[in-house]
Amino acid sequence: MRMTLTRTLVASITTLLVAAFALPVAAADGRGEQLFELCAQCHGSAAEGNQMTLAPAIAGLDEWYVEAQLNYFRNGARGLHPGDTGGMRMYPMSIWLSTDEDVKAVAGYVASLPRANPTPVLEGGDAAKGSAFYLVCATCHGQEGGGDPEKNSPPLRGANDWYLLSSLEKYKAKIRGGSPLNPNAVVMQGTVNILPDAQAMRDVVAHIMTLSE
Amino acid sequence: MIEQFIPAGSTYAGNIDGQIDLIFVLVGFWFILSEAIFFGLIFRFRKKQGQPAEYITGEEKSQKRWITVPHFLVLVCDVFIIWGAINVWYHVKQELPPAQETVRIIGQQWTWTFVHPGPDKQLGTADDIAKVNELHLKVDTTYHFKLEARDVVHSFSVPVFRLKQDAIPGRVITGWFEPTLTGEFDIQCAEMCGIGHGLMGAKLSVESAAEHAAWVASESPLELAAANMPQLAVEE
Ligand code: HEC
Ligand code: HEC
Ligand SMILES: [Cu+2]
Repeated sequence: MRMTLTRTLVASITTLLVAAFALPVAAADGRGEQLFELCAQCHGSAAEGNQMTLAPAIAGLDEWYVEAQLNYFRNGARGLHPGDTGGMRMYPMSIWLSTDEDVKAVAGYVASLPRANPTPVLEGGDAAKGSAFYLVCATCHGQEGGGDPEKNSPPLRGANDWYLLSSLEKYKAKIRGGSPLNPNAVVMQGTVNILPDAQAMRDVVAHIMTLSE
Repeated sequence: MIEQFIPAGSTYAGNIDGQIDLIFVLVGFWFILSEAIFFGLIFRFRKKQGQPAEYITGEEKSQKRWITVPHFLVLVCDVFIIWGAINVWYHVKQELPPAQETVRIIGQQWTWTFVHPGPDKQLGTADDIAKVNELHLKVDTTYHFKLEARDVVHSFSVPVFRLKQDAIPGRVITGWFEPTLTGEFDIQCAEMCGIGHGLMGAKLSVESAAEHAAWVASESPLELAAANMPQLAVEE
């Protein structure tokens, strides 16, 4: 009786030790996918976005953009404005990524996913009117909304319309993009002023949604 | 005792520590005494040559005394603990010394927003300074806080102050503290509030009067606005 007890104890402790050391090794490849399990809680299992959590579709965004934004969250350039409800949810998730390697790994995985093209939920936008405004946006974000890495501009095509609208509102209200750490966002904050009012924002978003089709 | 592990940074931190010490000493005394008696008896009455171990039901008065006497003594100790606890609780949570300044604290998934009163020392005015995850206080100043939660229950916990107060959606809870130590300390959320709970920390800076005044001046939204508007500069 005592023998079996001792043996069971030794066996279980050994198993635990082996498991503890083996885990990080097993995780080394597929790290991005493993880290993404946290992201999926809000962004969805296919990173297709979830308006309930305010987390946008990030699947298939360019790797440089995902990595840059994660780092802006991490260093507090984004998400730490008292009016940024969504940003304040994302900020802690970004500091959970404790190393630059992890940031790169998860950004690579997110970028490898197919773009989500979520269905529009907003109403009242006039795509025709929006296309006129979009002529300016196109100089950076591309005629087809595909983005332009040379201008640090992310793709807008295939995004959630509610997220595009909330981003424009946040740039306008200076809730997003005020930090000197991110000059690109300062540029975007200035550009958003060509959209005179809330209706213009809806119109341009309606136009961007037609690019996804 | 606790100060060896974490500094005491508010006027009432000592009261809380005193209470914890009192409990530690009383409970520790009874713990050691009862374990000593317990193992002493086991050793003394262990199985010996010609004397088998005996099962005692403990129904006789002389045996029951081993329980009842310490029981009543422990109850006497409880009176001291409860008396101390009520006093400390009353001082920290029920009393409200007049405020020299007031800050607004808002918990939401998963950050703390602190609204500082700004140069005019009045909350709710245009020069308020709102900061996420940064609370700046002036040392030796009595503060009231107005604690709110935007989504779920959070708990505002400042270990160096020995303060912990739940934040409840829909309520504005008033409390107080007076920092006594300058330096940078941790603020944390102490109530499970969702996936980011463990990452819901903030930084507390307790500053000397001069440092604090300088910080307020540099952060005041009115000052910042003026700095961004060159036409306001008188010299030009
Ligand atoms: C608790 C919910 C939550 C989790 C978990 C989460 N995010 Fe987010 N994320 C958000 C929200 C909300 C936003 C939108 C912020 C805004 O409105 O500006 C966001 C925004 C982003 C953005 C910016 C997208 C853009 O187009 O600019 C990226 C990139 C991102 N998240 C990546 C991640 C990654 C990678 C993970 C996993 C490590 C993750 N998120 C985990 C909630 C979450
Ligand atoms: C001068 C180049 C430039 C122009 C013009 C421009 N943008 Fe941008 N835009 C950017 C950059 C750079 C970013 C990334 C900013 C950041 O890091 O926050 C951005 C970000 C955005 C975002 C946030 C995307 C995301 O995934 O979070 C939206 C939405 C957006 N722009 C819409 C527009 C619209 C609509 C217009 C036209 C009215 C426009 N932009 C014009 C450069 C530009
Ligand atoms: Cu919390």
